[in-house]
Amino acid sequence: MKINKLLVLLLSVLLVISLTACQSSQPTGGTDQVEIKFLHKWPQPEYSVYFDEVVEAFMKENPNIKVSVEAVGDEPIKDKLRVLMGTDNQPDVFFSWSGEFAAKFVRSNNALDLTPYLENDPEWKNSIMEAGLEPFTYDGNYYGIPFRINGKFFVYNTEIFNKLGLKKPNTWDEFMTVLETLKQNGITPIGFGNIYPWAACHYITGLNQKFVPQEVRVKDYNPKTGEFTDPGYIKALEYFKSLNDKGYFIEGVNSTEHNMSNQMFYGEQVAIIYVELEEFVEVEENLPGKWDFFKMPDIPEGKGNQNFLTGAPDGFLVSAKTKHPEEAVKFLKYLTNKANADKLVQQLGWPSPIIGAVNEGNSPDYLVRGMKAIEEAEGMALWLDTDIHIKISDVYLPNLQELLNGTKTPEQIMAEVQKVAKEVQSEVE
Amino acid sequence: MNIYRNKKVAILFMLPALVFVILFIYYPIIQNFIYSLYRWSSFSEVKVFVGFDYYKRLLSDPIFYIALKNNALYAIISIVFQVGVGMILAAVLEEKIMRRYQTFFRTVYFMPSVISITVVGLLFQLVYNPNIGLLNAFLKVVGLETLTHDWLGRSDTAMFAIIATSQWQYIGYIMLLFLVAIQKIPEELYESAMIDGANAIQKFIHVTIPQIKETILVTSIITIIGAFKVFDEVYVMTAGGPGRSTEVLASYMYRAGFRNDEMGYAATIATVIFLITFIVTLIQLKVSKEKNEA
Repeated sequence: MKINKLLVLLLSVLLVISLTACQSSQPTGGTDQVEIKFLHKWPQPEYSVYFDEVVEAFMKENPNIKVSVEAVGDEPIKDKLRVLMGTDNQPDVFFSWSGEFAAKFVRSNNALDLTPYLENDPEWKNSIMEAGLEPFTYDGNYYGIPFRINGKFFVYNTEIFNKLGLKKPNTWDEFMTVLETLKQNGITPIGFGNIYPWAACHYITGLNQKFVPQEVRVKDYNPKTGEFTDPGYIKALEYFKSLNDKGYFIEGVNSTEHNMSNQMFYGEQVAIIYVELEEFVEVEENLPGKWDFFKMPDIPEGKGNQNFLTGAPDGFLVSAKTKHPEEAVKFLKYLTNKANADKLVQQLGWPSPIIGAVNEGNSPDYLVRGMKAIEEAEGMALWLDTDIHIKISDVYLPNLQELLNGTKTPEQIMAEVQKVAKEVQSEVE
Repeated sequence: MNIYRNKKVAILFMLPALVFVILFIYYPIIQNFIYSLYRWSSFSEVKVFVGFDYYKRLLSDPIFYIALKNNALYAIISIVFQVGVGMILAAVLEEKIMRRYQTFFRTVYFMPSVISITVVGLLFQLVYNPNIGLLNAFLKVVGLETLTHDWLGRSDTAMFAIIATSQWQYIGYIMLLFLVAIQKIPEELYESAMIDGANAIQKFIHVTIPQIKETILVTSIITIIGAFKVFDEVYVMTAGGPGRSTEVLASYMYRAGFRNDEMGYAATIATVIFLITFIVTLIQLKVSKEKNEA
């Protein structure tokens, strides 16, 4: 029939138009300038200026490379990266958390193996802390370059502590005594906002690490071998729950945002908050000179290494599909050189994994001490939600809210986690 | 030859629209269904054919039923408040004594529906906050301290708190649709009812409601379909928590696709959402057709 032919004709015309449209978006221009796309996660003007300045300086030094920058916020980048990886339009250099978050890009052949580049430039490799590089390895190869290194600490109000004669707790029992004293004196001990359950997962990250023997935990966090049957996981949940049951957290933890609980700390309504090293700048701005910090107290009965610290590096990967790996690595090298790491520390107050970038000369005392705690730690417990398979994390995390509400018991939660871990085992090849 | 009778020419003119509808509506629906038969993530290189596994899994997935229940709750409560109360509000504003102030109230009631959902969500997140929120503070002031609650943080109230926000936002919008419908009712009907001695409530039941039946039907369908597509409110206010208690179909689909890297499962949920809204639309078409024939 005629109509059929017409339809075919029209469809093919449409197809041709769309094809040519795609083609015309390919880079034109006859110069040898190479364009690399750079995606980071700090669109906030106070942070993005750092990247803009570094990129500009890099382009001045390398006129044949054009770096186009894109920035997407913390939450949206998790989706954006997933979608971008499915296209041919990948950014050449992109942000990623370490651990499983980066590993899934490695498994799907989206991340370039950076080992040869690091081996060929020992000076570069040796300038980076091993604690920063290690979480970006997969099967013994390096896939990412750390940009920041972060630790999680309890920050407390020194004025309140001094008034009540309290000291930094070293063990969990001492911690409990401190919290009880605060409560007895009418002060809400800990500000905690868990409307998005990553906040609770940072507690569990540390508690799991302290309770579960290292090799068991490493095996469980690996999606291919995860079982989560160690009783330590239940203990961790119980300890965490007791903080809420004993009234050491603020009211309504599951409907409060992390930032809001920080505000309560700055307003001196709560005595302690649990924050990341990168937030120290903000604490100092809001409560200058009236705070100090300690790491998660030791749990002597725990079977994990008590000298670990909760925290992780984050950094950048290079796309496996990039047309210009040399240029992309060159840019990455520039971004992580000593001068720019210094600049990062001074301008933004962020902890850099480049050795010597944070020092007494250029950084405030609290940052130096925080970095020292990271260096002294025997290892890092990476954020649980980026360290285990996303499907397990998706069962684990929302359940932490139920745990706090008392609607599920630790045993029920771990049973659910075990079930999904088994499912994941069969799916990950 | 009469060009108006030429079917071929008519079809030719319809063709561009037809192609667009096929390309952008029917093709994606079919494609989505095909996607739901594979296990894949947005960045994986291979798609693994799993057949109807995801549909089987969906039927035994407790979270799916939580989401379905929440969507149904959303629909029922929205019908009662947006359609029911919205209609009554419109009738009240159309009363003779109120007409003078109608413009003012119309604007006041309509205002919330033009505010971005994200803004409203964040606003109500603060209103419901147990520490600094307006709602608990109000309850304490009027002596109802026993009623204070962690509204969004507890599983038993979180869903209702979100639904209530939605009612606050959209009641004015539905009311406006009813106002337009009521204004179209011929004045004589009310006059004759008055002569018969009908009071305001009798006039509303026997004159207004039968005359705006069509609008009631349309607004009901709008709210039901809206209730099954709801996403933003939940995503902004609780992101599905605490636990999974405020998960709705759309947020579950989003989570499956973009967080859990299970695009196939997300496509399965999308197919279910499509089926539900499609059936509701079919019912609407059938009911309104019957009415026209009657």
